[in-house]
Amino acid sequence: MQPLLRSNQSATTDRVLENPVSNAFEAVGLKKDFDDGAVQALRSLDLQIPEGEFIAITGPSGCGKTTLLQLLGALDRPTAGTLAFRGVSIPDLPDPSAYRSQEIGFVFQSFHLLPTFTALENVQIPMLETRMPSAKRRDRARELLKSVGLERRLNHFPSKLSGGERQRVAIARSLANNPSVLLADEPTGNLDSDNAVMILDLLTKIQQEKRMTLVLVTHDDRVAHRAARIIHMIDGHAVSDRQTGNGVCQ
Amino acid sequence: MSFVTVVFRGLIRRRTRTTLTLLGISIGIAAVVALVGLSRGLNKSWAAGMRARGTDVVVSNMTSSLVPKPFNATVRDRIAHLPHIAATCSLLVDLMSVENTEMIMVSGREWGGFTWANLKLISGRMPNDAQEKAVVLGRTAADVLKKKVGDPIQIETAELKVVGIVDGNAWVENGSVILSLPLLQEITDDQDRINVIDVRLTPGTSRADVQSLCEQINQLVPEARAIVASENLNQSEISRIVGAMSWSTSLLAVLVGVLGVMNTMLMNVFERTPEICVLLALGWKRRRIVELVLWESAILGLLGGIIGVFIGVAGVRLLGATPSIRGLLEPDIGIRLLAVSVAIAILVGVVSGLYPAWRSSRVTPSQALHG
Repeated sequence: MQPLLRSNQSATTDRVLENPVSNAFEAVGLKKDFDDGAVQALRSLDLQIPEGEFIAITGPSGCGKTTLLQLLGALDRPTAGTLAFRGVSIPDLPDPSAYRSQEIGFVFQSFHLLPTFTALENVQIPMLETRMPSAKRRDRARELLKSVGLERRLNHFPSKLSGGERQRVAIARSLANNPSVLLADEPTGNLDSDNAVMILDLLTKIQQEKRMTLVLVTHDDRVAHRAARIIHMIDGHAVSDRQTGNGVCQ
Repeated sequence: MSFVTVVFRGLIRRRTRTTLTLLGISIGIAAVVALVGLSRGLNKSWAAGMRARGTDVVVSNMTSSLVPKPFNATVRDRIAHLPHIAATCSLLVDLMSVENTEMIMVSGREWGGFTWANLKLISGRMPNDAQEKAVVLGRTAADVLKKKVGDPIQIETAELKVVGIVDGNAWVENGSVILSLPLLQEITDDQDRINVIDVRLTPGTSRADVQSLCEQINQLVPEARAIVASENLNQSEISRIVGAMSWSTSLLAVLVGVLGVMNTMLMNVFERTPEICVLLALGWKRRRIVELVLWESAILGLLGGIIGVFIGVAGVRLLGATPSIRGLLEPDIGIRLLAVSVAIAILVGVVSGLYPAWRSSRVTPSQALHG
């Protein structure tokens, strides 16, 4: 565990309550180029995301929203600018995997469950990097799957689950190590409307109950309006940043 | 669920490919077990034969063939008087085609020599004298030739009679057709030629005395070479060639196994790149991914090694039962050879996994968010 990031793993919620306006993420002049500058995915982006906020990043394909998510999750490094998590520079983290393991939960559009593992085992995968005893891992996975309504699907393989159920397993997995931030990339993109509503309800409920920071990337305005704040991006720039009045953490 | 579960699930994901890879390694390891076992068996059988005949020192010329080169029978008289020599026995041994058998050891022994003494009669009798047109068969040779006491046997153009079946206490002895030296010399038209002198030493002869005796014999008879019996075959050129060929053929087979595992693991890594990205995104360290690939390939090696050992042992037993091999040599497949073979297989697995593991460590985790 990185003391640099967190002095007490279970203190995330308390800290948010003590200082509700502190920033989870802060970016200044953030740039990301690909192909030696031929593609500019992010162009001098300034951004602040307070702890416990539900924020939606919208925009057309190629506007840089997924790239932003990658940088927030330390999956890639910015070309220029600064990006900090709780005041600590993300590109300079000595162990980005520890940061991802302890602070970040990812939810992907294509679920990305491992096909040869059951729902219960998939949820345990992130916990294998911790020192949690095997029995405790299993209990926690069971508890998380129960919390997303899949207590009857514990031993089902992904191929035997519906799209909505798969995404619920993925959400349970993202919560495995009790992260303070959820990064969701088009989490309803592969779901029908009923399942999409259910997943959004679930994410909103989790965000509010756990007072997590939720950054959700979507190109769907209806999905975005579930967030408290919407940042609209075009060509690597944030062209609008507005509050919706929804999903505000009390 | 543990890390080991992840390793095994990775392997069973592509069952057919994993099975074929295991088969590839198994065949390589089976080749190691079989060829090295047979090669070592050659030496062991020869040494056992020497012990069974009660031979301490062998005088022969085995530098370039499986059977010794002939030399004049008078060599025996030139060395018989040397100190520490209790007895000598001249032999003419050859690998010959006898009736329908492609190759069998035929051993002509000096009549009355000590090498007859260790043969235990199972049935029949010993030849009456050196001139009797008779042979005794080692029990394996009798099986291979399908002969019993009283049957005729043809060696080259000579019609002889099987008068006894014997147990010689060693594979080489049991796999031999044994007859008197003058008879074999007559049949092979090698009068006055022998190719082995078995020497028995006086009890209590020290190691230094044995060495000294060998040196004296080597000076006296340059056409042959005296060697302590247990070292005899190890020092022959043919033994070295057989050993080298066994290992080199085995290593080639193992190399094929290496390429097989490497191919499988590379395919695994390429196919599972999205999965590896997800694991990295979920907080797995790169080191852990490398460990995953190396463990998978090491377990492929271990399983392939175990299966290969079974195939190798079964193959050698099958080969040992074939008429052309049976009775000639006893495969030497000890626990050590099996353990070394499995260790080689694990090493093959780990070495084969190194490049795929390195490739897996180069994966960019941001790919997890694409598609």
